[in-house]
Amino acid sequence: MSDAPYLSLEKLTLAYGKSIAVENLDLTIRKGELLALLGPSGCGKTTTMRSIAGLMPVKSGRIVLDGKDITRVSANRREIGLVFQSYALFPHLSVFENVAFGLRLQGMSGAALTEKVDTGLRTVGLSDFSARKIPELSGGQQQRVALARSLVMKPKVLMLDEPLSNLDARLRLEMRTELQRVQKESGVTMIFVTHDQVEALALADRIVVMRNGVIEQIGTPEEIYNKPASSFVADFVGFENIATVVGNKLVGSAGEVTCPATLPNAAGLAWRPHAVPLGSGPYRGTVRGVSYAGSSREYVLETPLGPVKTEVDAALPTHQIGTELAFDLPPEAAAPLRKIG
Amino acid sequence: MFQNRTEALALALPAALFAAIVFLVPVAILLSEGFRTADGWSIQAYIDFFSMPLNQKVFLRTLRLGLTVTFVAAIIGYAAAYAIVTLPPSSKGKMIGLVVLPLMISPVARTYAWIVILGRTGIVNQALMTVGLTDGPVRFLFTETAVFIGLLQLFLPLMIISLISALENLPRDAVPAARVLGANWFQVFWKVLLPLTREGLVIGGTLVFTGSLTAYITPAILGGSKVLMLETLLYQQVTVANNFVSASIIALILILMSFAANILLRRIASARNSK
Repeated sequence: MSDAPYLSLEKLTLAYGKSIAVENLDLTIRKGELLALLGPSGCGKTTTMRSIAGLMPVKSGRIVLDGKDITRVSANRREIGLVFQSYALFPHLSVFENVAFGLRLQGMSGAALTEKVDTGLRTVGLSDFSARKIPELSGGQQQRVALARSLVMKPKVLMLDEPLSNLDARLRLEMRTELQRVQKESGVTMIFVTHDQVEALALADRIVVMRNGVIEQIGTPEEIYNKPASSFVADFVGFENIATVVGNKLVGSAGEVTCPATLPNAAGLAWRPHAVPLGSGPYRGTVRGVSYAGSSREYVLETPLGPVKTEVDAALPTHQIGTELAFDLPPEAAAPLRKIG
Repeated sequence: MFQNRTEALALALPAALFAAIVFLVPVAILLSEGFRTADGWSIQAYIDFFSMPLNQKVFLRTLRLGLTVTFVAAIIGYAAAYAIVTLPPSSKGKMIGLVVLPLMISPVARTYAWIVILGRTGIVNQALMTVGLTDGPVRFLFTETAVFIGLLQLFLPLMIISLISALENLPRDAVPAARVLGANWFQVFWKVLLPLTREGLVIGGTLVFTGSLTAYITPAILGGSKVLMLETLLYQQVTVANNFVSASIIALILILMSFAANILLRRIASARNSK
């Protein structure tokens, strides 16, 4: 992986008719990197991906790949691979012919073609399936065919749209390791789109969190997970308790509390449920919900700030609904946020 | 559901008898007319029929018009259907409504409208003369072109509707997938769209071709006796010439042409699909 930018999006603005989907997006991707575009549906991540592939016209800005401006290059000349969320296989062709599709368009045939297709199918573990028809395959197998079909083209960048969302839990885990292996073996620069933070954290070298068509934060999985820049990112990666900092007060959705300790210089603070101690502390709340989660027990407290979620050891005695309890929101256990809202 | 086959057959008997008496028997009698001579059966009438230059001409014209109307309808119908399918849902519904609308108007009314448009003092001639492309009115009516236009207009909606439903059933993102894999638009059409919509093309093609062969009103009004087609010739043979032998022969030719078109198109479709 080199540090020089391989793919750059410069002030990219994309629109469907009059409605702006992505605005002024700047992003650089290094060669060999595995990058995740993470965000809720409608945040512009898939639109961004389609524009890189040339399937979505660019309203303004530039896309530069390997030193070449490809903003106006048509989709069939970009040398970019895309595995669609629906896989988009050709049902009238066999597995072999699906994988051979792009190679045949390049004029390849005979033994050279067979060898490339066989290698591609072997990479995704489908060597014995080349004569099969597409409708005979399971969802996971179809996705592997789609992956092989893109890989054999040796694209400069391989993109995957929600690669794991259509698979069941067991297959998802399998495919995750598979994708990582394929990426490391081929060294291909890979971008994948997901709305699932677990997927992004597990797979990516770097994560781009998007919201309403703009980038909210870019960072390594550790940075995104531990140091979310904004309340949006914090909420997305499981910080369920978020408060705004005003002087020495914490402001929540329902009201505010005064903090006896000194608050750090931040727009807000965020705590994961396990960072909120129950049974001691300067604040009081009433238990409104209890749920058992194996090793731990989760409580929802009604507090002056609004609902607060905590998670404590399941071995501790259970508190009944309606009990009033002390709790703490220790500033040193919180992630400081630069931006709220 | 039934205790035995006899019960089921008994229920179907009235309908079967009715169809046999009012359809099959008359058709059999009519068709046998062409093979009957004073002293037995022979195909002499068919040889006589096809040795007449007028009949040859009418047969070839019918075949030619049927094929060209189907071919042109397929090309412009495909473009229209693709455009409509890519529209956003709200305008898509409106456009499909516009395509279907002519089917709700009587073919007689639609064909007479062409007289207003193509006649000596019709819109087309007036426009041509105003622009100065011609000095006098051009004759459109009672030409093969007029019949072609009339038939195309009449049957194009059937082709478009068949192709829309075929295109709607395309796998999502199949076209963008082909693009990203390096296909230009011609290759996208040839390698992805066409094979995946062949079924719709066969259905549309069969409807347009058999429709064009068997249409009576349009060739009668726009072609008249100058541009006879098999259907108008048949009518003429029965009502004017009282020649039931010729009528019988034409009827059989029309039936065979429809069957042949259907079988041929289905053969093409299944051959490509099983590849």
